Amino acid sequence: MILHPGILALLFSSTLILLLLLIAGGVALRIVRHWNSASGSATQLQLERQTWLVATLLKYVIGFQIITLFLLLFTLDEIHPLFVGAMCATGSLNANLVGWLVLLIKIGLVFAGAMWLALNYLDQRTEDTPLVRMKYLLLLLLIPLVALDLWLQWEYFSGLRPQMITSCCGSLFSAEGEGVISTLAGLPVKQGVPRFFAVVVLYAVLLLANLRWRAVVLRNLLFVAAVLLFFASLAALVSFLSLYIYQLPSHQCPFDMLQGHYYYIGYPIYLGLFMATLFALLPGLCRPLATTNSLQQELERIEPVWLRLALFGLMLFLVSSCWQMVFGPLQLLGS
Amino acid sequence: MILNLKLLEYSLSSLWRRKEKNLALVSVYALVIATLGSVLLLTHALKTEALMTLTAAPEIVVQRTLGGRHELIPIAYARTISEFPGVGRVTPRVWGYYYDSLVKANLTLIGIEGYHEQLELLEGRFPQAPDECVIGAGVADAFGPQIGDFLVLEDSSKRRSEFRVSGIFRSASNLLTNDLVVVQEAALREFFAMPAELATDLTVQVYNSREVGTIAKKISYLLPDSRPITRDELLHTYDSLFNWRSGMMLAVFVSALMAFLILAWDRATGISAEERREIGILKALGWETSHVLGAKLREALLLSLTAFMAGLLLAWWHVFVLGAPLLMPLLKGWSVLFPEFDLPPVVDLYQLAVLGCVTIIPYLACTLIPAWKAASSDPDDVMRG
Amino acid sequence: MTLAIDHISSRPLIRVDEVSKIYHQGKPAEVRALQNISLEIFAGEVVALSGPSGSGKSTLLSLIGCMSRPTQGTIYLQERRVSRLPEAFLARIRRETYGFVFQQYHLLRDVSVLDNLLFPLYPAAMPMKTMRERALVLLETFSLTDKEKTKVRRLSGGEQQRVALARALMADPPIIIADEPTAHLDAELTAELLTMLTELHAEGRTIIIATHDPVVHQSSLISRRVALRHGQLADAENSRGGQ
Ligand SMILES: Nc1ncnc2c1ncn2[C@@H]1O[C@H](COP(=O)(O)OP(=O)(O)OP(=O)(O)O)[C@@H](O)[C@H]1O
Ligand SMILES: [Mg+2]
Repeated sequence: MILHPGILALLFSSTLILLLLLIAGGVALRIVRHWNSASGSATQLQLERQTWLVATLLKYVIGFQIITLFLLLFTLDEIHPLFVGAMCATGSLNANLVGWLVLLIKIGLVFAGAMWLALNYLDQRTEDTPLVRMKYLLLLLLIPLVALDLWLQWEYFSGLRPQMITSCCGSLFSAEGEGVISTLAGLPVKQGVPRFFAVVVLYAVLLLANLRWRAVVLRNLLFVAAVLLFFASLAALVSFLSLYIYQLPSHQCPFDMLQGHYYYIGYPIYLGLFMATLFALLPGLCRPLATTNSLQQELERIEPVWLRLALFGLMLFLVSSCWQMVFGPLQLLGS
Repeated sequence: MILNLKLLEYSLSSLWRRKEKNLALVSVYALVIATLGSVLLLTHALKTEALMTLTAAPEIVVQRTLGGRHELIPIAYARTISEFPGVGRVTPRVWGYYYDSLVKANLTLIGIEGYHEQLELLEGRFPQAPDECVIGAGVADAFGPQIGDFLVLEDSSKRRSEFRVSGIFRSASNLLTNDLVVVQEAALREFFAMPAELATDLTVQVYNSREVGTIAKKISYLLPDSRPITRDELLHTYDSLFNWRSGMMLAVFVSALMAFLILAWDRATGISAEERREIGILKALGWETSHVLGAKLREALLLSLTAFMAGLLLAWWHVFVLGAPLLMPLLKGWSVLFPEFDLPPVVDLYQLAVLGCVTIIPYLACTLIPAWKAASSDPDDVMRG
Repeated sequence: MTLAIDHISSRPLIRVDEVSKIYHQGKPAEVRALQNISLEIFAGEVVALSGPSGSGKSTLLSLIGCMSRPTQGTIYLQERRVSRLPEAFLARIRRETYGFVFQQYHLLRDVSVLDNLLFPLYPAAMPMKTMRERALVLLETFSLTDKEKTKVRRLSGGEQQRVALARALMADPPIIIADEPTAHLDAELTAELLTMLTELHAEGRTIIIATHDPVVHQSSLISRRVALRHGQLADAENSRGGQ
């Protein structure tokens, strides 16, 4: 265990997040058990007021989760000099393989939380709030995830020792490396580029079609395309986009772009990708839930907004990540 | 958007109307942040300074170990090492520690031969006679001598040795020279009673930094009783040492923070009758629970951001202007010879992020439930006085 | 929501159907504040609720004003069932449809007169500029222009009452609900209030007043009188609205 201030801050905030969520979970349990929207009793009134507490708690949890996600990335970057062979955050992550799991679960939590908030938003806009029970059952599912997040972070950080020998992005993401990540990332640029852009085009076409028509099939297709886009983009980022962003033929770290010497370009890139994924997932996700008239109306109203946000996210992502590829001096594809 | 601004305006007005109470809270909060911030800023500055020092250090230092303990190293080893390809100069060093029971301070005594270019003199000149010495600024302060005065030390056989101070050090890094006493090598050998064919350690210059690891391996292979320490290893050790220290400090101060939070909780739960009445009226007239909640949480955010700024400025002032008088003795423990220490004023975003994370997040979390309690009052209470 | 106030429709504006309100239900301290109340109020009416202290006048007003929800029964506002709506929706109805005048005025004491008019409407979508303009017009109407920046705790009783009425009119509500508005007023101020209410009625607003002040009760302004006793209607025929 390294007693680094950043690590302590991370463990501390994650504990706090779990605590907040446990409070929310306690209330959620009560709501699931006693909710009766037809009743005018004092209990029901109290429960209704508690839904606000839970919603706000969840907003905080998601907000804090996003902050700790970035703090994690910064901390990984900060502690890499402690490990032999690490040159950036990737190296720190490789020092203890639980690290990748931590990252994965944190990202997953941000998505899950955002979806919950979307669901909650939809439900609170209707007069009959038909989703209450389901919402709070889903919320209970988040608790083990957050607990797992805390536990994995503990495992990861307590397993770290200074001067551990680790490998960095150059070897992890290069063609010579082993495992899924390097196979993905090591794809020759010649194949990787067309595949990535094929996915982007597929996603964009579906998005536009969704804006035009309302068929449920389209929503579902877009859902699939969004998942594809997310993973294809991550693969593209480590395999070739990063090379253009850093203007170096061998630096493939997906985290360094968040740093100041690359003009924080990583923030618009990841924000764009997050928006493009999340808001394209939402319509497909909410359609099957919209069983009542009121929900359907609300969904109809909000869907175009979501789709437009997704479109904006896609543009943001593409512009900020491909800018250097188009205009930068580095050339990987021989003409 | 409009709603956000309007709620913000209401929050500001509400904070302003209870300014005495809020000012008191912000001061305590800012003090906690300043304490924590001082720890972070100070360790970061010390770390930066230590790294600066070490970049000037030799690529490899070779020590000899005997029974797992540091031993004097034969100078003959230097010849063996200097024959490796890629190795530049190999210099035997003579140095040691000296504890002065009167001043209760640890000094580092270094012997030099010829001119030492890394170190810039503050005033005076390097020792040119066996009874001359150059001392660090810290030594000068602790023992009191100025140039021309005598520094009196007791050697290994308890004989008093007098050294005339010929210069006092200045360096890009204070850490390196603060507790230093430099004398001529021969004089130091005599002082420590060290045989002529031995040295404290050897420094090895390596031309290509990529070969440092290989050469270190070769040294420990050919001279099995030696322990080569590369500069990178030193950096790691320093890094972890500083992280460990600041981590400990942070742990201590987080408990202080907790105490403060309990205080904040207390304050927030005790929302005054007047405030409660106000919320009741607004709810009766059409505010939703979420609006009240939003306004209250904005208040908390405004409060904590103000306190954060104030605390940060305070910490900056304490560490970089005053030189962290309240923390220095705690943090640097290993030597008392650090009364004056010019810290390079470096603050990076990461330190701020960590500080924000451990101070703002818990405060917001603590005010949430009381804010909700206030927000979920019954609107029809207003009908009854 | 816009309510038709320019013509008196044959449908009631507010319909209270078999409504009961029970506090602390199921506990030893159970209070049946209202029992099986049915009442219809039409647009343009001025209804006076009377009854001894504790008879449930305030409770009924808070139910009609969407401040609380009935334990049993249904309330309709222009055919919309409001008695089971979530609180957020009720709050919206309160700020858009009702203007409230309370017994103790319930103004924010440490806040200026202008802010007293503005703060309650912050959640409304209205732009700040429009709100401010409207507030200034109202202050003018109630001859409070010179008191705009004064804190409410420095105002006289009569001025406070005018601020309270101005605040009730900020959202231009079609329905005014007043709970014992004259309880702290002398005869002169009571007369003044009645004049102002008459004007509001002339503008087409529906007014519901709870009072046991005989002056208000006998005023020609009142178009219908409803008496409550022990949480029940004392004379049932008056509950139907005399058209
Ligand atoms: N929150 C509450 N909890 C318990 N009992 C309540 C509550 N609010 C009102 N009551 C009770 O309900 C009954 C009706 O009260 P309400 O305030 O409606 O009377 P009222 O007719 O307005 O009286 P007054 O003329 O004195 O204002 C009273 O017995 C009162 O004690
Ligand atoms: Mg009353």
